[in-house]
Amino acid sequence: MKIQKNISIILAIILSFFLISPIFLVVLFAFTDRAIASFPIYNFSFKWWIEIFNHRQFLSCLNNSIIIGISVAVVSSITGTMAAIGLSKIPSKSASLILAIISIPIMLPPLVLGITLLTFYVSIGMKLGLHTVIISHLLFTQPFVILIIYSRMITFDYSVIDSARDLGASPLKAFFTITIPIIQPVVIGASLLAVALSIDDFIITFFTIGAGNTLPTLVFGMMRTSLKPEVNAIGTIILFMTISSSAIALWMTKYRG
Amino acid sequence: MIKKNYLLITPAIAVFIFLFVFPFIYFFMISLWKIKFYKLIRDYNLVNYNKAISNYIEIFITTYSVSIPVAIITTIIGFYYSYLARFKTGRYGLVMIFIALITLFGGYLMKIYAWKTILGNEGVINSILIYFHIIKEPLTFLLYTKVGLIITFVHFLLPFAILPTYASLRGVNANEIDSMKDLGAKFYHVQFMLFFQRCRIGVLASFVFCLLIVSGDFLTPFLIGGKITFIGNMIAPKFGQFFDWPLGSAMSFTMLTVSILIIAIVSYLFKLTDPK
Repeated sequence: MKIQKNISIILAIILSFFLISPIFLVVLFAFTDRAIASFPIYNFSFKWWIEIFNHRQFLSCLNNSIIIGISVAVVSSITGTMAAIGLSKIPSKSASLILAIISIPIMLPPLVLGITLLTFYVSIGMKLGLHTVIISHLLFTQPFVILIIYSRMITFDYSVIDSARDLGASPLKAFFTITIPIIQPVVIGASLLAVALSIDDFIITFFTIGAGNTLPTLVFGMMRTSLKPEVNAIGTIILFMTISSSAIALWMTKYRG
Repeated sequence: MIKKNYLLITPAIAVFIFLFVFPFIYFFMISLWKIKFYKLIRDYNLVNYNKAISNYIEIFITTYSVSIPVAIITTIIGFYYSYLARFKTGRYGLVMIFIALITLFGGYLMKIYAWKTILGNEGVINSILIYFHIIKEPLTFLLYTKVGLIITFVHFLLPFAILPTYASLRGVNANEIDSMKDLGAKFYHVQFMLFFQRCRIGVLASFVFCLLIVSGDFLTPFLIGGKITFIGNMIAPKFGQFFDWPLGSAMSFTMLTVSILIIAIVSYLFKLTDPK
């Protein structure tokens, strides 16, 4: 029995290592001075960091990524919170059906979603730009936001609202002074997750942005030409933004799968 | 009251309808049209589907010869990871799930890039093996081969396979497994029961997701696959440099249909394992 337990733990460590090590390596190589990412590492340096800040496009791409991420988070947290509150008040069977339907875009390959949106925008004569990327991202961030807030709302105690209403609060006042403060951590957590998903997306952005660039499309351009080590530095920035916002999100929402 | 609740859902539904349902219907209609002198002609027929199948049959075969194994491998490893996290590792189990969640939400492009630097001729694996004199020449079967492609896909998709199976396993009590063992069940009996019966929904969800995502990917084969071409690599340029929306759309719908057929067969096979 003891041996079996040890084998389980060793396997668990190997698998966790397999999951986390590639991400760790990207960060590690961002701080070395060699042009090729390989071992052994002799010197640590900030060479690539200085280089990316001198890069012509880097700051505008960072700016675009942040604009898109924040807009997506704001819009999807509004539509998502409203939908989650609405869904929590209807029978759970129809609520899960609606949730399943709204989640279809997550199941589709991003390529199909990207070209579908591209052809649609072009055919209705919509100019491509940051705004088309923002509305496209809503499609796959919204389901996550709704799901997370919904799982909080089904355990929400509506009697506190009733008491406030009995004491003379208007429905709107009860909503802003009671519901919002109670669900605030979950809503902020869910919108941080939307930021992470949006900043990380490459494929849908690639098809719907037209001429501009975000951090992932900039990285893709660099990867296509050659293996430039600056990629590690920009990748570290993307990873920092996505992983820190999703870690805070998971902590705030107490979401455990 | 009921009306008010549905009114709250309306904005989310509106986003779904205007940005998904309408575009998707339009995208399907394009697959029936044709293109002439860089203009779309509304002429309904199935020529594009015929072309999509007859011209690209080999690429479809390559695509599914990678995506089916990837979906199976990822689902099995994902299930086993959840099993370890749920029953075998105690408090460390929560750390395992946290690792899975963290790697879920970030770094699609960076994961591909990381594997490119890990698997390359002068990459991490080869440089370590050469440094310790385990090999003299770099292993060349790692990058730009099916092996590298499968490793990259499995790594990227594993968190997506872990979470649904873990959610299913949370409904299973450790006592159930103990009593199965007391009644003489072997390790593989327990695994079979958990995988095919108790976790059926989670396992199927993970298989479906992995298959759809891998068969529709074009970036991983482009950067890791070398000469291996997926159907997505043929579809993407139809919306860029080789302007041919109708054919690209027909290829997309052919791909989705094949994937859905495979999913239907697999779900049927899963039903056969049900003792009831």
